[in-house]
Amino acid sequence: MTLRTTTLAAAILAVSAHGAAAQELTIGLSSEPTSMDPQFHNLATNTQVRLNIFESLIAQDPLQGLEPSLATKWEALDDTTWRYSLREGVEFHDGTPFTARDVIYSVCRIPLVENSPSSFSIYTQSVTDMRAEDDHTLIIETNGPNPLLPVESSTWAILSADASGAEDTVTFTEDGCEGMGTLPASNDFNSPDVAAGTGPYMLDEFTRGSQIVLTRNEDYWGEAPDWERIVMRPITSAGPRVAALLSGDVDMIESPPIQDLPRLEDANFKVVDSLSNRIIYLHMYHQDHDAPGIEGTNGENPLLDAKVREAISLAINREAIVERIMGGYAEPAGELLPPPMFGTSGRAVDAYDPERAQALLAEAGYEDGFKIVLGTPNDRYINDEQVAQAVAQMLTRIGIETEVDASTASQFFSRRNDQEFPIYMAGWGAASGEMSSPLKSLVASYDPDAGLGVTNPGRYSNPELDSILKEAMVTIDDDKRSQLLQKAESIALDEHGIIPLHYERTAWAMKPGLDYEPRVDQYTLAFEVKDVSDEAQD
Amino acid sequence: MTIVADSVEQPVHPKRVAQDSPVRRFARAFIEDRLAVAGLAIFLLIALLAILAPWITPQNPYDLAQLDIMDGGLAPGEASFSGMTYWLGTDPQGRDMLSAIVYGLRISLVVATVSLLCAIAIGIVAGMTAAYFGGRIDSIIMRIVDLQLSFPAILIALILLALLGRGVDKVILALIIVQWAYYARTVRASAIVEIRKDYMDAARCLALSHRRIMFRHLLPNCVPPLIVVGTVQIAQAIALEATLSFLGVGVPITEPSLGLLIANGYDYLLSGRYWVSVFPGIALVVTIVAINLMGDRMRDVLNPRLQK
Repeated sequence: MTLRTTTLAAAILAVSAHGAAAQELTIGLSSEPTSMDPQFHNLATNTQVRLNIFESLIAQDPLQGLEPSLATKWEALDDTTWRYSLREGVEFHDGTPFTARDVIYSVCRIPLVENSPSSFSIYTQSVTDMRAEDDHTLIIETNGPNPLLPVESSTWAILSADASGAEDTVTFTEDGCEGMGTLPASNDFNSPDVAAGTGPYMLDEFTRGSQIVLTRNEDYWGEAPDWERIVMRPITSAGPRVAALLSGDVDMIESPPIQDLPRLEDANFKVVDSLSNRIIYLHMYHQDHDAPGIEGTNGENPLLDAKVREAISLAINREAIVERIMGGYAEPAGELLPPPMFGTSGRAVDAYDPERAQALLAEAGYEDGFKIVLGTPNDRYINDEQVAQAVAQMLTRIGIETEVDASTASQFFSRRNDQEFPIYMAGWGAASGEMSSPLKSLVASYDPDAGLGVTNPGRYSNPELDSILKEAMVTIDDDKRSQLLQKAESIALDEHGIIPLHYERTAWAMKPGLDYEPRVDQYTLAFEVKDVSDEAQD
Repeated sequence: MTIVADSVEQPVHPKRVAQDSPVRRFARAFIEDRLAVAGLAIFLLIALLAILAPWITPQNPYDLAQLDIMDGGLAPGEASFSGMTYWLGTDPQGRDMLSAIVYGLRISLVVATVSLLCAIAIGIVAGMTAAYFGGRIDSIIMRIVDLQLSFPAILIALILLALLGRGVDKVILALIIVQWAYYARTVRASAIVEIRKDYMDAARCLALSHRRIMFRHLLPNCVPPLIVVGTVQIAQAIALEATLSFLGVGVPITEPSLGLLIANGYDYLLSGRYWVSVFPGIALVVTIVAINLMGDRMRDVLNPRLQK
């Protein structure tokens, strides 16, 4: 242990000995980060913790709008060249100044992280060159027009090149960078010495399965957060998490079960919630007549018929699901992203009309209905298993006898990718906060090499949609791009290539005297939790 | 099991019925314990409910077309818009809890009984073969039994179901696999004792076939301990099925058994909708206690050491 951490530990002991309870915030997390290495795993759980310690050039506000962070300004010089102006006078936790060298080092390390379960390199792929005009001006070149570069740069965690052991000059080259020195392993970031970022909090302790402790960065360049010390405890089961809040073990919890919210509010706890960017949808097998899990159709795949797909959509009473199963903590969905987020058209939600649905089935030649298996995870989305059963009820009522096949998320996702379900329910959260994210993954024709249709195991495909989407992906002008995205989305929704069900609402529950602005990306950001109690004045 | 029935229906001399019929003797000893009789009565009632389920329940809880989420989460005694009163409330899917519990009992009993019978059949064949032939066959069979009994039943069942997937048939298969070893061991133990007796030598001298000796002469004398182990095991099988369904690897979610009903309601306990979990829980406890009361008494009656 170094002298610095020893003094820090002593200081913390002194503070807690004085019983400064109001200066400490304890948060119950629903899942634990897989690593303290901010570039290890592209996972919401990791990102929401790393944002306290490591910042990015650009930050996302609660509505996923972009706002300056370590970059004060960014602009496209031409279709493939961007200039970022970096913030001056920022210091890392280890006292070294923040310069363009740190940015180049950080972006260079992203593809080099070993054993990453889900790499951030998808967000650095388009970068072909980076060079520093001076210490605080950075030029980035991309391999083609990439309107999403600013969004993508909000996922790059900026590390301290010095703390990570880089050489004095770091040069970007397309096949591996120069001057990287010895790369720190992901486990090294469990130590506060390596985990040096520019964020409002510094890592103090990471004990897997038990807790993450952060202390305030007193030299932070931005607005100082309200809490001297943050303790985050993973409590993965919902019941015990609520119980921990009720008993005062934690001050705040994320994703409380929606059925417990009335009780928490009755007990005087504060609940905040907002619409999330997560759409829950039904996806169907479009590839050929050889669909799995369908009976009573003489070997045909009824889902190839747009009328049948429309019937399925009209059979579903989304209002009832939202009200009865989701307890009001959801909103019926007509699109793949809640309006008014970027690229949405404000399209109306499909109305509940079982008579019309039955008529459509008859028109398609299935007046006697058929049998189908509906796949769903049972521990991934809010009340997922219950929602799937409700959908099965509604489909059965119009004559599509539906059997629900529920399994745990890991099993479900691998079975889904093996095309085992004729129809399945899943969710998609748009990390970029705009329409190209769900379109690229869910409805673009399957082309894994181009990163398209990777979550389209039903193999829905429409060439017109593909070409419009590809055009949108290289259009820098925001208005024009939004138009193109709306057009592509409308094609998929018009022929019911995908059936949106609802947008989840995310809730947070906390003791009175705290406040948190709910976020569409569902992140629990400790530094954004405000102390609004009277004790805050002393 | 047919053998047991045979020995029960053996024509006996009318005058000697009172003294000699083992069944009569057993029945008389059994009814001395009032608790056991109560257990039997409750068990018969439950069995009757389960058999008659389709005719007596207000709703078929497994027919999705009869459910409506708009009726979900009603408290016990509340009526829905359609005018139907739900005496034990509804679950979030609008399933009538009363109907769901009766159907759940049906699944529990069917799963437990079918798996019990199959496991006993396998256990008898394996155990008697081991005892009768001895030597290497005995070692092989009994080492397999030892190996299996060294793992907790729930662990083996969980692994099997994770591989097989959900379904009533798969739960039955898993329960057979985890239970047969108990019967094999029980049958072998009593068969080894019987084999040393004179009547077995007599049978062998008559040059009867191995099969005939094993099933006509040896087996009927090994039955009492089997009945005792069977009654204890049937309660355990019901509990095991409930546990597996509670953990989400048992029956399909649209056809809930008691364990799955309890699991579904578990999420709603904190929010005050106790009925989704508590009523199926009570049904499960009552069933298991009733069977255990019967089983305890049977063990006392059939145990020669405890006889007066």
